[in-house]
Amino acid sequence: MVHYIGVILDESRYEQIKGTPIEEKVQSIFGGALKMLVVEVPEDKSEQILKAFDRARIDSRGFIEDVPVAFRRAVFEEIVKNKSLDIIDKVLERLPEIQELAKKEDEYIPPPEIE
Amino acid sequence: MPKLNIPPPHGGELVYRVIEKRDYAESMAAGAIEFDLKPTTLPDGTPIRHVYREIMSVCYGFFSPVEGSMTSADLEGVLKERRLENGWVFPYPILLDVSDEDLKAMDVKEGDRLLLKLKGQPFAVMDVEEIYKINPEEVATRTFGTPEDNPEVVREPFNEKHPGYMIYKMMNSNVIAGKWTIINPPKFREPYDRFWLPPAECRTVIKYVKKWRTCIAHQTRNVPHTGHEALMKNAAYTGDIEPCHGILVNAIIGAKRRGDYPNEAILEGHEAVNKYGYIKPSRHMVTFTLWDMRYGNPIESLLHGIIRQNMGCTHHMFGRDHAAVGEYYDKYATQILWSKGIPSFGFEAPPNEVEKGLKIIPQNMAEFWYCPVCGEIAYSENCGHVDKKQKFSGSFLRGMVAEGVMPPKVVMRPEVYKAIVKWWKVFNYPFVNKKYLENLNANLEVDLEPMEIPKA
Repeated sequence: MVHYIGVILDESRYEQIKGTPIEEKVQSIFGGALKMLVVEVPEDKSEQILKAFDRARIDSRGFIEDVPVAFRRAVFEEIVKNKSLDIIDKVLERLPEIQELAKKEDEYIPPPEIE
Repeated sequence: MPKLNIPPPHGGELVYRVIEKRDYAESMAAGAIEFDLKPTTLPDGTPIRHVYREIMSVCYGFFSPVEGSMTSADLEGVLKERRLENGWVFPYPILLDVSDEDLKAMDVKEGDRLLLKLKGQPFAVMDVEEIYKINPEEVATRTFGTPEDNPEVVREPFNEKHPGYMIYKMMNSNVIAGKWTIINPPKFREPYDRFWLPPAECRTVIKYVKKWRTCIAHQTRNVPHTGHEALMKNAAYTGDIEPCHGILVNAIIGAKRRGDYPNEAILEGHEAVNKYGYIKPSRHMVTFTLWDMRYGNPIESLLHGIIRQNMGCTHHMFGRDHAAVGEYYDKYATQILWSKGIPSFGFEAPPNEVEKGLKIIPQNMAEFWYCPVCGEIAYSENCGHVDKKQKFSGSFLRGMVAEGVMPPKVVMRPEVYKAIVKWWKVFNYPFVNKKYLENLNANLEVDLEPMEIPKA
């Protein structure tokens, strides 16, 4: 069974993929209020992800959620670098590095500046 | 259909075991054996429960008719068929558990009076009725059920990943049973003080201030997204000759699993829903109950029904995956319980149709999702564009929040998001983590005034 990782695109992320072949794969959700890329993850790979991060889970939509921010960032970085959504192997190669960054996230995530 | 009115408390009478008068309180505690209440912790030291929350909820009547730490007969009745010894439905063991060392140091026996201390101050007294042993793992297993014994709804054996199971599994093996009485009522800190409304007062507010004849309860352990808001608004269309007059949000406040939102953000997030007019404050009120959530889906829903009936609600909304975590229970286990019963848990019929059961009326709801074709938040039983649905996923939203992306207002109200960020700045983290739990355990939600107890 295939699972998914959703990558939310804010303005700065959208700028990074604009004009690339990825742009046409952008999905618009919630009435156009959010843009998202969806990466497909084969079951054996999703098991690796669930094993690597103890709070990660598959939600009712079949998406892999509750993964560290560092993991999500790595997914987007690989999409930009490879101009493709077929990047899950590249992300998994970086697991040790991502796990190190994730440990720091257990203590601190910088809050956004909003009015 | 006859018009409905506020139902009686569960068990017939609201428990209220709180002494405000200092001289009475001091005389009750004089000469009692002292015991400092301690948290239940995971093997790594993470606090996951503090029995003070159960003492508060019992003494202020949220858990009526329970009056204290259960006797072995009550415990067996609860584990076997979700009934107290007197026959009234009650779902969870409520226990004061102590270690062998503490039991030995106290040298307590049946008939003695204990003075329970919290944060170094006198807090409550209890008259010891019974001291007995439990096997915590067995209590944990029987509390939540197993696929073999409860095949109607239990899908996976409970294990160390389930936070409620761990609360019972990590308990000490000695139980001191007896009725609790609070003698030094704690004072809630901000923001809890704004939302503290014990059942007796809540009933008065509903009847005489809000003037709600009918009221539907909304259970929450989450900051609200618009899917929750749609659930509240639509479930409230039930009632009798007209929709429910009021919506009572009752948040469960206590230690939660890592990754949930902090208690403070949950309360202020729900408050934002009425403060900024998404549901008028005349129809919507936010309150809380102290309880370290057990995430027991159908079992938890029984406790929710009891709490909210005691608070004065006529109805209770139950959604999919109610108070659940993981895949241990059927996603509709709560709705199965409230629509036809679960015999293996002691319910041949729904809990509001059995003897000494509940009087609150269930409103079982399916799902809400965003439908791009309808262009609105749609109810799953109405919307025919199932293949186009965009589901509200709490974990999807948590991911967005963690990345610092402000959710669009069609998913989460901006004022609700601001409540998350406000407390994120306080705790340097948007969700519950080990540090938050340690901090919560050290400070709790309350402070206690100093109190001198005279010698016997």
